[in-house]
Amino acid sequence: MTETLQGEMAIKTEGDIVLVRRTTREVSSQTGFGITDVTRIVTASSEMARNIFKYAGEGVMRWQRIQRGDRVGVEFQFEDHGPGIADVQLAMQEGYTTGEGLGMGLPGAKRLVDELEVKSVVGKGTTITLRKWLKNLK
Amino acid sequence: MNPDNISVIKVRDLLMVTMPPDPDDPTISALQEKVLNSMEKYEAKGVVLDISAVETLDSFFARTVSETAQMVTLMGGRTIISGMQPAVAVAATEIGLTLGNVETALNVDRALDMVNKPKPGTSHD
Amino acid sequence: MKKSTKQSSAKAREQADASQLGSSEGMLQMLVEQLKEYAIILLDKDGRVLTWNAAAERLKGWKAQEIIGQHFSRFYPPEDNEKGKTEMELKQALEKGRFEDEGWRMRKDGTRFWANVIITTLRDEQGNLRGFGKITRDLSDRRQAEDKIKRQAQEILEMATVPVVQVWEGIVLVPIIGTLDSQRTQQLMERLLQRVTETSSPVALLDITGVPAVDSQTAQHLIETVSAVRLLGADVIITGIRPPIAQTLVHLGIDLNNVTTRSSLTAGLRMALSMVDKNVVVKA
Repeated sequence: MTETLQGEMAIKTEGDIVLVRRTTREVSSQTGFGITDVTRIVTASSEMARNIFKYAGEGVMRWQRIQRGDRVGVEFQFEDHGPGIADVQLAMQEGYTTGEGLGMGLPGAKRLVDELEVKSVVGKGTTITLRKWLKNLK
Repeated sequence: MNPDNISVIKVRDLLMVTMPPDPDDPTISALQEKVLNSMEKYEAKGVVLDISAVETLDSFFARTVSETAQMVTLMGGRTIISGMQPAVAVAATEIGLTLGNVETALNVDRALDMVNKPKPGTSHD
Repeated sequence: MKKSTKQSSAKAREQADASQLGSSEGMLQMLVEQLKEYAIILLDKDGRVLTWNAAAERLKGWKAQEIIGQHFSRFYPPEDNEKGKTEMELKQALEKGRFEDEGWRMRKDGTRFWANVIITTLRDEQGNLRGFGKITRDLSDRRQAEDKIKRQAQEILEMATVPVVQVWEGIVLVPIIGTLDSQRTQQLMERLLQRVTETSSPVALLDITGVPAVDSQTAQHLIETVSAVRLLGADVIITGIRPPIAQTLVHLGIDLNNVTTRSSLTAGLRMALSMVDKNVVVKA
């Protein structure tokens, strides 16, 4: 097995958003996700990377293959030392678009993945963790 | 990626744009400029944006396309997106991405047909 | 590969014993060393690793000097250790003479593999417990093959529950039977969109005659499916809206005005035909 089980990359420039998409696509495919789930993961990751670039200027993405019991999945963590989110509850509510596609935000990303965790301290930074699990076979 | 990767081609009285698989932000931004300039230059009836190769549709892409379509409408044209991949459509629907003034077509052929059979007011939400 | 002094003296002892007992022990040792598929190790009375072989290193990732002396619970995932699985296995081996199991084991790097494990009790001539023998076989390949079959079976099942049929050039039909929960909607969307793209069909008929009840959730799922199909450039006609369903939808205030609907599949098909094929004349 020559698959990479974990890794890390810097998000510093707009160009890194494309790299984030490429990396998350490769890691998700290697883990065994089908094209639709891969697209979901890549889309959510693109948004998280974009948020970092927009609000914090720069940050880091870390990923790893994860296991819980006999379930296998993938985890992507987006960390920055930006302004932080003052009201996480609010951020998780607002932005669900019914009009024009103006910025997806956290609630949208939440729909695309199985788990989304937000840890944020105002003035210090934010860490957002996305997890998706391969469907258990019956 | 070189923004000059995107070419805007005049086909009959339409503009045809073929998007690459994973366009970066500068490329997407350049799209808007090029489309509007070409709309003026060729007095085109509209734009067909072929996204059959595009693998991810994030908020920036969606917003830019939506804005561009509004501008094209103001200039008297229609915007048709053709060939969206199934996985992309699923993800876009699940997060509620909307494309506003944009019409959709299964492929470029049908998009070209659409423009020649005027069907005003059928923009999808 | 450098061996620790602890191990080389243990080995020297073993070799000395072997030469005393005759070459058969030495040959057995060679056999154990050479077997690539079977990780064969010895544990002491308390379950700590005494010996290691090349297959064990290959399979579990640990080098001999790293693992000898450690407890064999190192090879088990944390949730098994919390339940005290290793104690249970040794206990069973003591009671019955041997213990056999198939389950997840963990490598040094934390990754897991599906294994067949046999633990046997080893006693001396007086019947005193000397330790345990442990043979581990990697069944990953077999499990992968099994998983593949399960996945294929699941795909076939999915196709059966969400069949997407091309009924005419440019028209696909999905007869939905049963309730439409979130998971099924996902399956439905993925299969339908795939087929629409493959066949370049501008019209999809969703027949809900076989859906027992339509609540707000179901309606939401249907609306979402329609949105997705429209992004592709096709459109949807929902058929099978019988009186009770029509009543429920209105009472719940669900707005399907944006979607073309018909009460019967026939009516829907007629409309679909008029949309795709101008040459077909359908007598009312």
